[in-house]
Amino acid sequence: MESGSDKGTGGFSAMDDYETLISTTDADLLKRSWRNEKAAPEILQFESSLVERSRAQIQLMEETVEEFMNSGEDPLTVSLYQMDIDRTVFLLRSYLRTRLQKIEKFMFHIQKTADLWSRLSRQEQKFAKRSIEDMEKHLDQSVLSKLPDWYKSHLKQSGTSEEDDMVTEPKLDAFVICRSRKFVGGLPVDDRQVNNMSFYKKGWGDYIIYSKVKMKKKLDKFCGEENPLDMYAGDIYALRYKSIKPLIESGQLDLV
Amino acid sequence: MSGQSDPRGSTFSAAELEFLAEDETIEIVPNLRMERLSLICGDFGPFRPQIATQVPIWLAVALKKRGKCTIRPPDWMSVEKLTQVLEAERDSASSFEALPFHYVEISRLLFDDARDDIPDVYMVRSLIEDIKDVRFHKIGTGLEKLSSRTYAMKLNLSAMEVNVIRPFVTGGLETFYKLGNPDLIQESSDRPQHRRPQPADRGPRRELRR
Amino acid sequence: MYGRKACQLVKELTNSESGQLTTFNNDLFAQVIEECEAHFRDLQALFMKMQEEGTSNQTTKNPDHFGAFMHHLSLVRNKRCIMAYVYNRAEVVQNLGWAVELLLPEEIEEKLSNSEKEYFKNHLATLKSYMTDMDIDLAVDMVPPKDPYIKVRVLENMGNVALSDQEANLAMHAILFLRRTDAEQYISQGKMEELTV
Repeated sequence: MESGSDKGTGGFSAMDDYETLISTTDADLLKRSWRNEKAAPEILQFESSLVERSRAQIQLMEETVEEFMNSGEDPLTVSLYQMDIDRTVFLLRSYLRTRLQKIEKFMFHIQKTADLWSRLSRQEQKFAKRSIEDMEKHLDQSVLSKLPDWYKSHLKQSGTSEEDDMVTEPKLDAFVICRSRKFVGGLPVDDRQVNNMSFYKKGWGDYIIYSKVKMKKKLDKFCGEENPLDMYAGDIYALRYKSIKPLIESGQLDLV
Repeated sequence: MSGQSDPRGSTFSAAELEFLAEDETIEIVPNLRMERLSLICGDFGPFRPQIATQVPIWLAVALKKRGKCTIRPPDWMSVEKLTQVLEAERDSASSFEALPFHYVEISRLLFDDARDDIPDVYMVRSLIEDIKDVRFHKIGTGLEKLSSRTYAMKLNLSAMEVNVIRPFVTGGLETFYKLGNPDLIQESSDRPQHRRPQPADRGPRRELRR
Repeated sequence: MYGRKACQLVKELTNSESGQLTTFNNDLFAQVIEECEAHFRDLQALFMKMQEEGTSNQTTKNPDHFGAFMHHLSLVRNKRCIMAYVYNRAEVVQNLGWAVELLLPEEIEEKLSNSEKEYFKNHLATLKSYMTDMDIDLAVDMVPPKDPYIKVRVLENMGNVALSDQEANLAMHAILFLRRTDAEQYISQGKMEELTV
């Protein structure tokens, strides 16, 4: 259950840490993967063993329900088990669906980026390959076959282009909203060269905007220098996806 | 497909937020005897009449609908606590009171299916509406302060609030980022304030007391 | 002006509501392709001319070179516009694969070009093939599940009936929780009524 970590403030942090330690069921993990996949701009690593375990659990539960029905178990109990199955099946379906939709959107980019390609399951790779064939055929029939040779690529604008300049890519610079599961200190917040910049924060409490300002600006406006960010358990921040990606992969931050 | 979140916008639909909220636990007092349930999402029960136990909200609501339990509303859902929260929300321009991440969805679920278990339900409901309003107003004022130099923003808000402001925050910050040059757009507080009565950092208290 | 027609196509895209399709504009599309062909002819002619005059190496200050370059850029711009038109429409067609069963409703189908119709069929087959590989149906459960049971009052004696999940005694006035899918037929026949809590 996520109840502990779902409190929106730092006051519950000790509790949060405790909760994360004692209870991470596959149902929690599946929910987390689903949320992250839905909110991340790019496709994430396929959670193959989690998916496998979840499917096994669903099947086991379906068999249990079957037995209950045959043995004349109380219909109320049966329906509660059924609802639990329905919820897990929904998460699983929605998780897989979200991934396919990302593949549909970024197929060419995924295909030519080895790291992304390796994140797909075997079945997803097959899906991606076929999707690409379908799309290439369609683009060729509709447009490219009608253009001169020099302009026939669906990846490049013309033979002059040095790079693939017609491929849709996910925006890794995009801001995402994330919540920390436990204290995360010294978050690298920006990969841009910070020259002559100081950090400052504005506001206090739960609503703080962190900005960079040039040093020469009037200093009286600052509430103090703020270097890389500290996040306490349960804190929610809008941050650039690229800067926190490893923390999502390691499970320290959740996208919400 | 209306209930499904927009794959492009990558946000959660209202139904999906409610789904997530349904996994939060809540205390019920069963009036039936039922063995322990070993569900995928965890083990719950055993259920004995008059013996309180913790279950996920979806389970609580299912039992409640069938007349098999009463639901104990969470501590924060009392007139006393919510009045305090509302006062505090009005008193601070940038702090948000501690409410559960899913307070909006949880209260809606309980109003829909467990009205008779919530003391002073009408009062509770209207307090929650007021709290929502005050918080949204503060959020709006805060968003005006975004600038091209913003690289992070702390938003200790609820799920629904986060979801509603997501397009503004992510879209707005992204636009600033694209514009690139930090000098292109002045910090909003450097600008002469137009139209709006000065939303100073402390926030206009009068406005909040609509 | 070069590129205007292609731009109109893109405008057609942006003017339609997101997720909606307008009828494929064959006419305008063909005109843009013609424009591309014309650019290419002019481009080639200028290259030939430069070659004949032996000026093809003089990339600077050669008006023909810039002329050719402009035709190239116009062609690229046209290409980007029609690709955007076709690709964005294809994305809508992809999404239809999630929303509809095997056949497209007529009012949508008539808006598609032939290649789009074919693309829909192929991509749907790709999707189905994934579902078969995974042995899971992803075209259902688009929204989170709610309690599948509803509370009903039986209005007519029907005796013991085997339902999808239980055998129930449907006696008059009985109040039961049934799966919505089981109850619906009786409700529509007036043999049951749904009770709201």
